[in-house]
Amino acid sequence: MRARCQPVTLAFLVIAGLLLGACAQLVQAPAPSLPTAEATPVVEGRLTEVGTPRHETLILDHLDGRVDNPTQFNPYMSGTRFNQGYHQLALSNMWEMNTVTGQQFPAMAAEMPEPLNEDYTKFRIKLRQGMYWSDGVEITSDDFAYTVDMILNTPEFGYSGFLKQVVKSYKVIDRYTIELETLRPEPRLGYTLGVTVWGDAFRLVPKHVFEKAENPATFNFYPPVSSGPYVLKDVDPNGYWFLWEKRQDWQRTDAGMIAGEPKPKYILVRFYGPEEKRVIAGIQHDLDIFTDITPESWDILRQKNPYAKAWYDHFPWANLDDPCERGIAFVIPNSPYEKKEVRWALALATDIQKVSLATFAGMLRVSPLATPPIHILQETYHKPLRPWLIDFAFEDGYKPFDPDFAVKMAKTLRDQGIEGIPTDEQEIIDLFGVGWWKYDPEKAAQLLESVGFKRGADGKWLLPDGTPWRMTINAPANFEVQSQRLAYAVADVWRQFGIDVNVQAMEAGTFWSSWSNGTFDAGSYWPGCGVAPDIYDNMVSAWHKKYIVPIGQPAPGNAVRYESDTLSAILDELSFLTSDDPKTVELMREFMKAWVAELPWLPMFGTSKFVPVDTYYWTNFPDANNYYEGPWWWWSLFKYMVPKFEPTGRR
Amino acid sequence: MGFVRFLLSRILIYILVIWVGITTIFFIPRLMPSDPVEAMLGRVMSQGAFMEPEQVQALRQSLIASFGLEGTLGQQYVGFLKRVLLTGDFGPSLAMFPTPVMDLIRKAIPWSLFLLLSSAIIAWVIGNVIGLLSGYYRHKVYSRILEAIAVTIYPIPYYILALILIILFVYIKPIFPLSFSVQGKFPSLQFIVSTVYNSILPALSIVIAGSGWWVLSMKALSSSISEEDFVRFAKLKGVGEGKIMGQYVLRNAILPQITMLALVLGGVFNGALITEILFAYPGLGTLIYTAVLQADYNLLMGTISLSIIAVATATFLVDLLYPFFDPRIRYR
Repeated sequence: MRARCQPVTLAFLVIAGLLLGACAQLVQAPAPSLPTAEATPVVEGRLTEVGTPRHETLILDHLDGRVDNPTQFNPYMSGTRFNQGYHQLALSNMWEMNTVTGQQFPAMAAEMPEPLNEDYTKFRIKLRQGMYWSDGVEITSDDFAYTVDMILNTPEFGYSGFLKQVVKSYKVIDRYTIELETLRPEPRLGYTLGVTVWGDAFRLVPKHVFEKAENPATFNFYPPVSSGPYVLKDVDPNGYWFLWEKRQDWQRTDAGMIAGEPKPKYILVRFYGPEEKRVIAGIQHDLDIFTDITPESWDILRQKNPYAKAWYDHFPWANLDDPCERGIAFVIPNSPYEKKEVRWALALATDIQKVSLATFAGMLRVSPLATPPIHILQETYHKPLRPWLIDFAFEDGYKPFDPDFAVKMAKTLRDQGIEGIPTDEQEIIDLFGVGWWKYDPEKAAQLLESVGFKRGADGKWLLPDGTPWRMTINAPANFEVQSQRLAYAVADVWRQFGIDVNVQAMEAGTFWSSWSNGTFDAGSYWPGCGVAPDIYDNMVSAWHKKYIVPIGQPAPGNAVRYESDTLSAILDELSFLTSDDPKTVELMREFMKAWVAELPWLPMFGTSKFVPVDTYYWTNFPDANNYYEGPWWWWSLFKYMVPKFEPTGRR
Repeated sequence: MGFVRFLLSRILIYILVIWVGITTIFFIPRLMPSDPVEAMLGRVMSQGAFMEPEQVQALRQSLIASFGLEGTLGQQYVGFLKRVLLTGDFGPSLAMFPTPVMDLIRKAIPWSLFLLLSSAIIAWVIGNVIGLLSGYYRHKVYSRILEAIAVTIYPIPYYILALILIILFVYIKPIFPLSFSVQGKFPSLQFIVSTVYNSILPALSIVIAGSGWWVLSMKALSSSISEEDFVRFAKLKGVGEGKIMGQYVLRNAILPQITMLALVLGGVFNGALITEILFAYPGLGTLIYTAVLQADYNLLMGTISLSIIAVATATFLVDLLYPFFDPRIRYR
């Protein structure tokens, strides 16, 4: 009998051993240990999954997904994440950006940096008085000084290399004043150390906390001490959610002083998983703000949830003011893309209307310039330069610009039965853009033939050396769906033109590695970014020849490796001007003209973001009719938006 | 003496398998088109931190040292073996730099073990019981119905089942949570209850999908064994049905199922990639997914090495335990 039981006993012991091993591991799983937890009082109405009253909790989608290191909050350590509410709610910057006006405003700083000499190398920086860290210690110039010293003395921080190029020295004048000397002229110091787009890497840290750390390079800063109006209350050890609670002393933060009291007592930043689960959450009123979904998901959401609202109440639904434009970039030193004629031929071989329809069903605004067609920049560059674009001609007199793109696109969509398309031409241009390059395959063929290309017997293009022209377009595999679809749509139209085009979908690591190292022919990337009329910072990093490094090495800028003395000279001239100098925009327009003549990459569309909200529990979110700020829920400026949100009273 | 020789040979094979596996996993990622250091630099610079070339070079050197990528490939390999074999250190994760890979694996393992071990065993037990009944009583109507169900379920990919379960029990009838969210701290009752509650749907998708295979294989084995002479003889001799099924058929049919179970249990250390992603479950599958997405090859090496060791260990244990289950097998 004993012998018969033996195998079963043994099997049981093995399984039990494995289960015990698993349990032992569970014991070691880290648990959150935060000081602010309080017993939740009994309340009427629904509770969230983390136990907070639903009507007091704003639930925000997490753009980046799960955070694998949820207890790492040192803002200078590589791998620290910010979109989980950290920089939106608990970190303030020196200067912030209002994307409606395109102007920076002082945030932790009391005013914009004051230049002390004509060379723009000495500045007075004043901190706002009355700001406190969430642990009750006042924020002073000592924190500023400590932060600068810590970054400069910690080479492990990636940002250290950058700041070493900027800061020469500093002097603490008083409790709230610092004088900063820079290594190079910094007429745009607010841009260098403040927010221009998503956020900025220069963030003050509390001296009294960091100076006690053994090594700032490995200090996790958990739980984080906040300079924003919210403080971390709880965190999922698995990194799927972060719960932020309004500070009782929210008035003692820059956001509190500037924007007032935020209404949500709690903000839960939650990652539910793949898009279909996020949409289900939206339908069930468990997600108030979406950070990015596809047009197809938006269709489902609006049909199932009558409280769901997009940026527009009708076509194109999406917000078209995202600050980076999408298109096809080339590595210029790689033959045949070094030839201007080839780049222009590719532009004229692109049926941009077809690409727009195939990418996002026509919900896109075109851009022929190196800067995105967002509202502010369209008014500053695209519209003023439209007459010049119409007159712009090649040496043979050919005019490549098609100013009627918007009107034609509007007609096509109307013919498809799409409602809500404006009829006024200016409104149509506002919606679909000032125009793009003509679809003219004959002229494109002529340009290619002028530099030695020929068609083979099968009608496909041969390079000047007689070999077939094969092109691979890099595309994001599981992220940035607009760029991904754009790559396939462009490949399709270029194949019809006779080029052997292949799309290679790449995961993020490989995609960015390839971009930085210049190890690709063509790619669906987005080097054209900008928010404010002064786009010098964006343009210099994208196009100045000083950033060019050999292919195979990561580029510190100018990843397409386009060398232009003309563009670099204009950028050098711009480097000495301030943002508010009238010459800045004037010179930048000259830059745009020179850039168009050379066309070093093919920008096509601004980015359309489907960033809907559910107005069941919260309302007064910004939208096209209530445009107090763009829907940039994952930007640091979110904290200045939250006070506008109002509870609906539903429970 | 026979056992000692058998044990030594198995230990030798075990070590050899692990060495070949780990060596392969060291070299394969180095054939990938992306370099973790360059990917890291690319990411830093694509986030708006523009650096002078000499600063880029300094950061590159620092990352090369951190990732253990200094020296020739041979030197790296020797260093890698030393680190891994002596200290179990796979270096820092690239995606979550500077968090050590082993810390991430240590956090993910319990979740994957809890989900996959329990669902694999449940699927194995259910599948084998149903398979045995339908194989032994193969001419009965219910046996054919059970087989038909198993045949229908078996080819459905487990992630499709997962999606169906989500639609049914999260969207249409919201009984289960939309996404994984555990409350309380281990070992509180709240933690255990919420863990089980959150794990039911992912586990169910694995159990349903996994059972199909066990039903079909056990049915094939048991119906074939039921035809054997010794079973007929036992019936003629008047041995009870329960005893024939349990001790004559089951004991013979279960051996290949145990072998397969051991391999499945070894595979538990791979996680259930798509299930974990669909249910936002924090296990090893999610970790492997992150490693692939971010070209994080330290993490990739860590997770896959773990899987290699687990499968090799499971096979090794089966080899050792087999004679206990099958008296016909002896250590030679």
